[in-house]
Amino acid sequence: MPDGPILVVDDDETILLTVAEFLEFEGYSVATASNGLEALGIVERSQPALVLLDMRMPVLDGWGFARAVRERGLGVRILVMSAAADARRWAHEIGAFGVVPKPFELDDLLHAVVSHYPG
Amino acid sequence: MTAAQLLQSVSWCLYVAIFVLVVARVVRLPTRANADITLFFGATTGIILTSTVQTALDLSSAVWLADVAVALLMLLPYLLMRLVADFSHVPTVVIRAIQAAVVVCVVAYVGFWAQLPGPITVLLVACFVVITGYDAWAFMREAGRSVGVTRRRLQAIAAGTLCVGLVLVFAGIGTAAPASAGFWAALGQVAGAVSAIAYFAGFAPPGWLRRLWQQPELDHFLQRAAALAHLPDIQSVVRAIESGVAASFGAPAASVGVWDPASARLRFLTDSTAVEDGWWYVDPHERAASGRAFLRQHPVLVRDLEHEDPADAELYRAFNARAALAAPITSGTDRLGVLVVHADREPLFATGDLELLRLLAQQAATILENRRLVDEAARVHAREESLRMKQDFLSSAAHDLKTPLTGILTQSQMLLRRAELNPAAPSSMDGLQRLLRETRRLKTVVLDLLDAAELEPTEGPMLIREETDLVELAREVSRARPRVTLQAPGPVVGAWDRARLKQVLEHLLDNALLYDRSDNAVIMRISQQPNRVHITVIDQGIGIMPEDLSYLFERFHRGRNVDDRRHAGLGLGLFVSRRIVELHGGRIWAESELGRGSTFHVEIPLAAPGPTASQVSGQPRMGAHA
Repeated sequence: MPDGPILVVDDDETILLTVAEFLEFEGYSVATASNGLEALGIVERSQPALVLLDMRMPVLDGWGFARAVRERGLGVRILVMSAAADARRWAHEIGAFGVVPKPFELDDLLHAVVSHYPG
Repeated sequence: MTAAQLLQSVSWCLYVAIFVLVVARVVRLPTRANADITLFFGATTGIILTSTVQTALDLSSAVWLADVAVALLMLLPYLLMRLVADFSHVPTVVIRAIQAAVVVCVVAYVGFWAQLPGPITVLLVACFVVITGYDAWAFMREAGRSVGVTRRRLQAIAAGTLCVGLVLVFAGIGTAAPASAGFWAALGQVAGAVSAIAYFAGFAPPGWLRRLWQQPELDHFLQRAAALAHLPDIQSVVRAIESGVAASFGAPAASVGVWDPASARLRFLTDSTAVEDGWWYVDPHERAASGRAFLRQHPVLVRDLEHEDPADAELYRAFNARAALAAPITSGTDRLGVLVVHADREPLFATGDLELLRLLAQQAATILENRRLVDEAARVHAREESLRMKQDFLSSAAHDLKTPLTGILTQSQMLLRRAELNPAAPSSMDGLQRLLRETRRLKTVVLDLLDAAELEPTEGPMLIREETDLVELAREVSRARPRVTLQAPGPVVGAWDRARLKQVLEHLLDNALLYDRSDNAVIMRISQQPNRVHITVIDQGIGIMPEDLSYLFERFHRGRNVDDRRHAGLGLGLFVSRRIVELHGGRIWAESELGRGSTFHVEIPLAAPGPTASQVSGQPRMGAHA
C-alpha cells in the first residue's frame, strides 16, 4: 500500500496552493506539481497515495502523465480535477478512480479524497 | 461511257444531291443565306437538267432549251456574289457592277441570237472569270476571319468557286482554240468534278466531316474547361466559359445566363455600374434568344434581334449584335442556364453553329455543375468550421470561467475555515491576495464576454468620442506591461472613443506578449498619415497559421497552433478589437509568418476634434462600415 503524500497537479497556481493548503489543513501530507512532467518526477521518487490531476496543462498534460505512469509500471490512484464538460469521459480514458469537476466545494474534494484514499 | 462522261455524271449527281440537301435545309431553317445557297444550286441543277433532257431526248434543235441553260449559267456568278454578300460586306459599287455585267451579258447573248462573235465571247468569259475570282477571294478572306467548322467550310467553298472559275477559263480557251477543244473540255470536266466535291464539303458536309472539323475547337475548349470549376468564384467561371466559347466560335462575345431559381430570372454578368452586384437579372419570357432557348430547352437561332426584341434594340445596336444563337445549359433535368453567342450578322451555317453551341453548352453544364459541388463543399466546410469555433469557444469559456471560480470558491472557504478554527489569528495575506487575483481574472473574462455580446453586429452601441491623444494612451497602456517598446511621434489627437481604443491597444499588446515567450520586446509603432493614423504591433512569437489568418477577427476564433492550456483566452479579443476599429471607420488586419512572429495593423481616420466633433460624436451606427 503506497504511503506517500497526496500529489496535487494543476497549472493554476491558486488552485494548486489552495488545495494543498486545505489537504494539509485536513492532516494529509501533500506534494505539488504544476505540470505532468514535474508530477512524473515526484511519482518516481515517492509513491504518492493519491494524485489529484488537472487534465489541461502545459509541458505534459493529464493524458501524457497517465500514459507515462502506466508505461513505467507505476501504479497510482488518480482523481481527475477538471473544468471540462468531458471530464468524466477523460477520467475514464486514463483509468482514473474518480472525478472532481471544477468548480468544486472543499467538502466535495474532501469527500472524494477520503473515499479514494487507500486503506 | 468515257472517263470524261463518267466524271461529268459524278459532278452532276453531286450538284443535284447538294441541291436536294439545301432545299431540305431551307425548308427547316428559312434564312436568307440558306435561300441564296438554294438559288445557286437551283440554277446549277437547272443547267444540268436542261442539258440532260436535251441530250436524252436528242433535242439539239430546241434552241430555247439551250438558251435557258445559258441564261442560268450567266446568273451563277451573280448568285455566288449574293451569297458572299450574305456573310461579308460587299461594296455597293461591286454589287451594282456585277448586276450590270450580268444584264449586259444576257442582253448581248439575246441580241446576237446566241451567235456571239468570238471577241465578245472572250469578253463575256473574261467578265465571268473576274466575277468568280472575286467571289473566291471573298470566301477565302472570310475563311481567314472565321474559326472552326465555318472556316473549313468557307475554305472548301472558296476552292469550289475557284474550280468554277477554272471551268469557265477552260471553256473559253476551248472555244478560242478549237484544235485542242477536247483537251480543254476534259480539263473542264476535272475542274467541274473538283468543284462539285468541294461544294459538297462546304455546303452540305456530312456529319462525320463536321465533327472532324469542329473537334480541334471542342478539344481546345475541353482542355480549358477541366480547370474552370476550381476558379475562385462563379463570376470567374462564367467569364472563362464566355471567353472560351467566343474563341471557339470566333465570335466577338458570348454570354452565359445563370438561372437563379429564387428570382426566376436568368442573370448575366455585366460590367455596367448600374447594377449593384455585377449581375443583370433578366426575365426569360422577355428575351428573344436566351429566354426562348432556356424555356424551350432547345437551341435557338434569332436572325434579327432588333426585330424580335424591339425593347432592347438600342442595347443590341450598341454591341453590334444583329443575330444570336442560344442553347440551354442543362445537366440531366437541372436547368442551369443558357449559353448565347451574338453575331454581327446572321450566321452562314446556322445549323452547324447551333450544333457546336449545343456541344459547348453541354460542357458548360458540366463545369457549372462541378462548380456547384465545389461551392457546396465550401459551404459545408464553413458550417463545420463555425460549429468547431463555437464548440472551441464553449470549451474555452467553460475553462476560463470555472478555473478562477474554483480558486475563489475554495480559497474563500479555506479562509473561512481558518477563521472559524481560530478567530483570533490574523488573516492570511497570501490567501486574500489569491482571492483578489482570481476575482479580477473572472472579471476580465466576464467583461470580455459582455463586450463581445454588446459589440455584436446586430446591435448598435454608440461610441463616446472625445478628444484623445493616441500616443499618450499608448504610453499609458505600454507602461503597464513589460517588454513593450513604443515608437511614436508627438501627440496624435483625434475624436475617438478613448476607453474603446484603449481596449484595442490592450488586446493587441496582451496578444503579442502572450504568444511571444521570447525576451524580445514587442514593438508598438504609431505613425500619423494625412487623414489617418496607423498603429502597428509587432511580435516575434509563434505566428499565425495561414488558414487561420482569414478567421482571425471572427468571434470565437482561436488559432489551430494555439495551445489553449497555455494561452488562456476566449478568442474574443480580436473580434472585439475589430468591431471597435470598424465603429471608428477604420480597419484592422494582420500579417504573419509561422514561427517568426506576427504584425497587427490598425488604421483609423483622424476625425479632427473641433466644431464638428459634436456631430461626429456617437453618430456611426453599427454596421455602417461593416
